[in-house]
Amino acid sequence: MTTTSPTVSPPSTRGADIGAFFARHPLIVLSTVLVILILVTGAIEPNYLSVSGLRGTALIAVPVGIIAASQTVLMITGGIDLSASMIATAAAYITAAQAENGAFVAIGLGILVGIGAGAANGIGVGVFRVNPLIMTIAMSGIIFGLFSSWAQGWLAGSTVVGEFVRTIGGKSFLDGNIPYAVVIWAVLTAMIVGMLRYTGFGRMLYAQGDNAVAARLAGTRSWQVLLIAYILAGVLSAIGGILLAGRLGAVDLRLADGLLLPSVAAAVIGGTSIFGGVGSYSGTIFGALILGVLSSMLTFLDAGQAAQQILFGSIVLGLAWLYSSITRRT
Amino acid sequence: MTTMTTTKPLLAAENLAKRYGAVIALESASLTVQPGEIHALLGANGAGKSTLVKILSGVISADNGSVAVDGTPIRLRNPDDSMSAGLATVFQDPALIPDLTIEQNFRMTGVDRTIVQEWLVKLDIPELDFDSIVRDLPLPLLRLVDLARALAHDPRLLMLDEITAALSADQAELVFGVMREWKERGRSVLFISHRLTEVLHICDQATILRNGHDVESLAPGEGGEARLVSAMLGEDHHESSAVREGTNTGDHVVLEARDLHRLDKVNGVSFELRAGEILGIAALEGQGQDQLFQILSGDRRPSGGEILVNGEPLVAHSPYDAIREGVVLVPADRLHALLPQRSVRENLATPLYNRLSRWFRLESDEKERVDGAIDRLDIDIRAASQVRQLSGGNQQKVTIGRWLAAGFRTLLCFDPTRGIDIQTKAQIYQLLRELADEGAAVLLYSSELREIPLVCDRTLVMYNGQVVDEIADARTATESSLLTAAHGLEGVST
Amino acid sequence: MTAISSSEALGGSQLRDWLRHHGWTLGVWLLLGALVVWYSTLVPSFGGFELSLIVNNSLPIAFLALGQAVIVIAGGIDLGVGSMMVLTNVVAAKYMEGESFAVAILIAVVLIAAAAILNGIVGWIINVSKVPDIVITLATLFIFAGFALAILPSPGGGAPGRFRWLFTGSESGIGRNAWPAIIMLALATQVVGLWLVKTRNGLSLYALGSDPTAAYLSGVRNSKAKILSYAIGGGLAAMAGLATTALTGSGSPRLSIASTATLNSVAAIVLGGIALTGGIGSVVGASGAAIVLFILNPILTARGVDPNSARVIQGLLIIFVLMIAGVLEQRRQRRS
Repeated sequence: MTTTSPTVSPPSTRGADIGAFFARHPLIVLSTVLVILILVTGAIEPNYLSVSGLRGTALIAVPVGIIAASQTVLMITGGIDLSASMIATAAAYITAAQAENGAFVAIGLGILVGIGAGAANGIGVGVFRVNPLIMTIAMSGIIFGLFSSWAQGWLAGSTVVGEFVRTIGGKSFLDGNIPYAVVIWAVLTAMIVGMLRYTGFGRMLYAQGDNAVAARLAGTRSWQVLLIAYILAGVLSAIGGILLAGRLGAVDLRLADGLLLPSVAAAVIGGTSIFGGVGSYSGTIFGALILGVLSSMLTFLDAGQAAQQILFGSIVLGLAWLYSSITRRT
Repeated sequence: MTTMTTTKPLLAAENLAKRYGAVIALESASLTVQPGEIHALLGANGAGKSTLVKILSGVISADNGSVAVDGTPIRLRNPDDSMSAGLATVFQDPALIPDLTIEQNFRMTGVDRTIVQEWLVKLDIPELDFDSIVRDLPLPLLRLVDLARALAHDPRLLMLDEITAALSADQAELVFGVMREWKERGRSVLFISHRLTEVLHICDQATILRNGHDVESLAPGEGGEARLVSAMLGEDHHESSAVREGTNTGDHVVLEARDLHRLDKVNGVSFELRAGEILGIAALEGQGQDQLFQILSGDRRPSGGEILVNGEPLVAHSPYDAIREGVVLVPADRLHALLPQRSVRENLATPLYNRLSRWFRLESDEKERVDGAIDRLDIDIRAASQVRQLSGGNQQKVTIGRWLAAGFRTLLCFDPTRGIDIQTKAQIYQLLRELADEGAAVLLYSSELREIPLVCDRTLVMYNGQVVDEIADARTATESSLLTAAHGLEGVST
Repeated sequence: MTAISSSEALGGSQLRDWLRHHGWTLGVWLLLGALVVWYSTLVPSFGGFELSLIVNNSLPIAFLALGQAVIVIAGGIDLGVGSMMVLTNVVAAKYMEGESFAVAILIAVVLIAAAAILNGIVGWIINVSKVPDIVITLATLFIFAGFALAILPSPGGGAPGRFRWLFTGSESGIGRNAWPAIIMLALATQVVGLWLVKTRNGLSLYALGSDPTAAYLSGVRNSKAKILSYAIGGGLAAMAGLATTALTGSGSPRLSIASTATLNSVAAIVLGGIALTGGIGSVVGASGAAIVLFILNPILTARGVDPNSARVIQGLLIIFVLMIAGVLEQRRQRRS
C-alpha cells in the first residue's frame, strides 16, 4: 500500500447486510422472485404445482428464453435486436413451407434465414455504424414486407409445420414429463454460457460493449465481433421461432410478434445492461422463467388482456426497479 | 486595495469530510479565505483538493463539516446553492454544453453577454464568435470563456481548478491579470494549481492538503517552493531521480518514421527508434504529438510518408495491424484504454483475444500472463471486480500491464504519468527502463518536461508538427533547455 | 493580423457552419419537397385532396415524432409514446362521441394535460429508480396499452365533426382542405422548436442530453429537465392521439398499433437528424422526416408497387440514409 493512495478502511462490519449479499449474488434475488411467483400461482391454482403445470410454463418460456439469448448477446455488445421476432417468424415460415422436403432441410433453411438477416444487421451495425435500434427496426419492416408479399406468392398455402418440428416444439418424452424443447434450450444454454465465459469471443463481446474505443485500441476489429454477434443472434432467434411454430403447429406472419418485447424484458430482468458490457445468460433464463410463470398466473386468474398487459408492464417495471436498487449498492 | 472593515473571513470551511464507500477522499479539511485574497489550495494527487472544491461548488455534498460565508452558515446541496452564496467555479473540464453554441450556453445559465464580452476583451479574445458550437472550439479557449462566464456571475469567491493547465504562457499571464483585478475589487480567488512557480508568483496565502487533512496554511513566500513541496509530500519523501546508469544506444532500428504528414498537424516527422532505448518526445501541448502517436499506433492513417517496422513498411488500417507488428499504445486518457465495468484480470487479458483465431477458447497460459503482469506492476487488486473502482495510478498500471501480458516489441507511451501520484510514477518509469534493458523500444511523450532527462536515452523536440531538435544524450538536457527548444526557434512568433 | 484574415473568411465559414449544423434538417425538407413533386407527377391530378391525404395521415406520427424528439434530445428514449397515443385516442373517442365541439375541446385540453402529467411521472420514476429509460418505457408501453384496452375493450367511439375539422380540414376526416393540418403541424413544430433553442428551460434539455455533467455544473437541475422532457413528450403524444381520433373518427385500443407507432417515431427522429445519444438535432427535421416516411406509401401505391414492398423500400431507405450518415461520420472522425 502506498502512502499517497486514498486510505482504504477495513471491510465494513455491516458486510453481512442482506442488501449487499443480494448485490453480490443477484441470481438469488431472481430465483427468490421466481419461487414466490410459482408459489403464488400455486395458491391460485393448486393443480399448477405439478409436472404438467410446470411443463406448461416451461414450454411458454422456451421460445422467449431462446430469443432473449440473442438479446442478451447483443445487449452485452451495447446493441439490441428489434427484428428478433420477425427473424423468428420468417425462419418458422420457411420451415413450414419446406416441411415436405424433410425436417432437416426445413430447419436448416429456417436457420439460414436467421443467418442471412443477422448478417445484414451485422453489416449495418458493425461496418456502417448504423444505430442498432434503427437498423433492426428497419430490418423488421423489410422482413415483414418481404414475407407479406411472398406469403401470397411462392410461400402461399403451406403454413403447417412438419411432424418433427411439432415434436421438438411441443411434445415431451419420459411419459410426457420432459419436453424436447426444454432439452434443446438446456443444450443451447450450456453453449451460450460457455461462450460468454470461456471463449475469447465472449471476452470481445463484453469489451466491445463496455468501451468500444478501448476495444479498438486493444486491437479488436469491432466489425468482426459485431457481425458474428448479429449472425449468432439471428440463428438463436430462428431457433426460437421454429420451436414456437412447433408448439403452435402452424405459422402466420404475426407468429412471434408477442415475443419481441418480452425477450428484451427477460434480458433486462436478468440483469443485462442495456448499455452493454455487463450481463449473463443465466440471469436472462430466470427472466424468461419469471415471465413464463407470470403468463400462466394471469391465465389462471382469467384476467382479461387489458389486465394482463398492465400487470406484465408493472412487473417488468417493479423488478427492474428492485433489481437496480439492490445492485446499485456495490 | 479595499480596507477590510470586517474581521470575518469570506469563506470558512470547517472539518469537511467525504468518503466513497471504503475510500476516504477527505477526512477532515478546513479552509479559510479572507476577502481580497488570492488563496492557493495545494496538495499531491489524491490529497483531496478536487473533493474539497467539489464540495464548495455544490457538486457533491459533504458527509460532515460546515461551510460559512461571511460568518453565515450555508447549505450546499447543488451548484445553484453555491452560486447564490457568491461562489463561482471554473472546473478543469469546462462546464459548457458541447452541442450548444456559446450564446445558447450563456442564455441557459442566465448570464449577461455584454458583461462576459467585457471580460473576454480583458482575456484577449474580443473576436469570439458567439454562434460557434462549443464542441468545435479548443480547450484552452473554452477555459477562458468559462472563466469569463464565471466572472459575469460577479462571485465573492472565484474558484479556479487547474485553470492554467492547458494555457500557453501568455494566456496564463492574462488570467493572472484578471485574478489581480478581482483581488483589487476586494473579492477573493481560490487557486488550485500544480505549478508551484505560479503559486509563488501570484498567491497571498496557501493551504496545503495531505491525505484528506489540511496540514498547513502559510504565505507561500515564506520558505518558497521547497517548503511547499515538503508540506505536500510529508516527511518520508525522496526526490525522484534518474532511474538508470548509462544510456542505451541499440543499433537495431525497430520503428522508423519517414516524413509523416497528417492534415496540418504533423508536418514531416522522421525519426528512428532502436531496440533497447527510450526515446523521448518533448513538446508543448498541441504540437502534433498526439496525432503522431495516433498514426504510429494505427489509430489514424497518415496523409503522407511511411512507417517502417523492422525495415518493412507498415500500412495500418486499424490498431490491430500495428499491434500485430508489436507496436502498441498506452494512451493518455485511461478512458480510452480500459473496460471500466470488467475485472482487472479481464482487462489485462483483453489484447490476447483480438484475433479471430483465438476466439474459440481462452488461452491456456492466460492466468500466468495476467499474474505476471500483476506481479511485475505491483497492481493493487483488492478492488479487482471492476476496474473503474481502482485508483488512477492502478488504472494506469492496468493499461500498461495489458501489453506486458500480451507481449510487444515497441511501446508507445503517451503521457503515461499524467495525474499519477509520485510513487506510481516512479514505478512506471522504473518499469519502462527495465523493458528497454530487456530489448524493447519505447517512445515516450511526457507533458512534464523535467521528467524527460530522468527517463529517456535520447530526445526529440517537436514544434508545430515537426521535429525541430534532437538531443543525443537526454541526460544532458535540462527542463529549461527543453522548454526553450520546445517553444520553437527564437524569433518565431506564436 | 489573424483577426483580419479570420473576419474575411467569415462569410464562407459561417455558411459552412450553418450547413454543418442545419444541413441535415434542410436535406430532410428538400427530400420531402422532391418526394411531393414526384408524387404530383405520378397521380392524374395533384390538388387539395392529395395534399390533405398526405398531411392528415402523417399528422399523428409527426406529433409523435415531435414528442419523441424532445425526449431523445434530452438524452432519453420513450418506447411508451405509442401507447400514450393509443390511450388518448381511445379516451377521446369514447368521451367525445355525441358531444358538442366545446366539450370536445375541453376533453382534448384535459387529455393533453393529463398525458403530460402521467408521462412526467414516468420521467420521475426513471430519475428515482435509475433504471434505463428504455426499460421503464418498455413497461409503460404495456401498461398504457392495457389502460386503453380496459377503457375501450373494442374499437369504437367517435368525435364531433368540427373537432375532426380542426385536425383534418373536413368534418368527415377526408377532404380537400389541407390547411388546418398544415397549420397545426407547423405551429406545433415551431413552438416546440423555438422553445427548445431560445428558452432557458428548453436549452436545459439539450444540455442534459449533450453532457449531463456539464449541465449539472452549469446549474441545470437534471432531474427536473428529465421530467420536463417526458411531460412535453407525453403532451405531444396526446396530440398524436387526438389527431388519430379526428382522422379515423374512432378509438382503437391495440398494442400492435402502439408498438408500431413507437418504432415509427424512433425511425422518424433518427431520419430527421436527431442523435439517439442526445443533445443533437432539431425537431424541425423530425417532423419533416415523419412525413417523408409516410409519403412513401402513396407514392409507391401510385407507382403500382404493392404495400408490402412499400414497407421493404421504407426500411431500405432508412438503412441506406443511415449507412451514408455512418460513413460520413467515420470519415469526419478520421479527419479530426
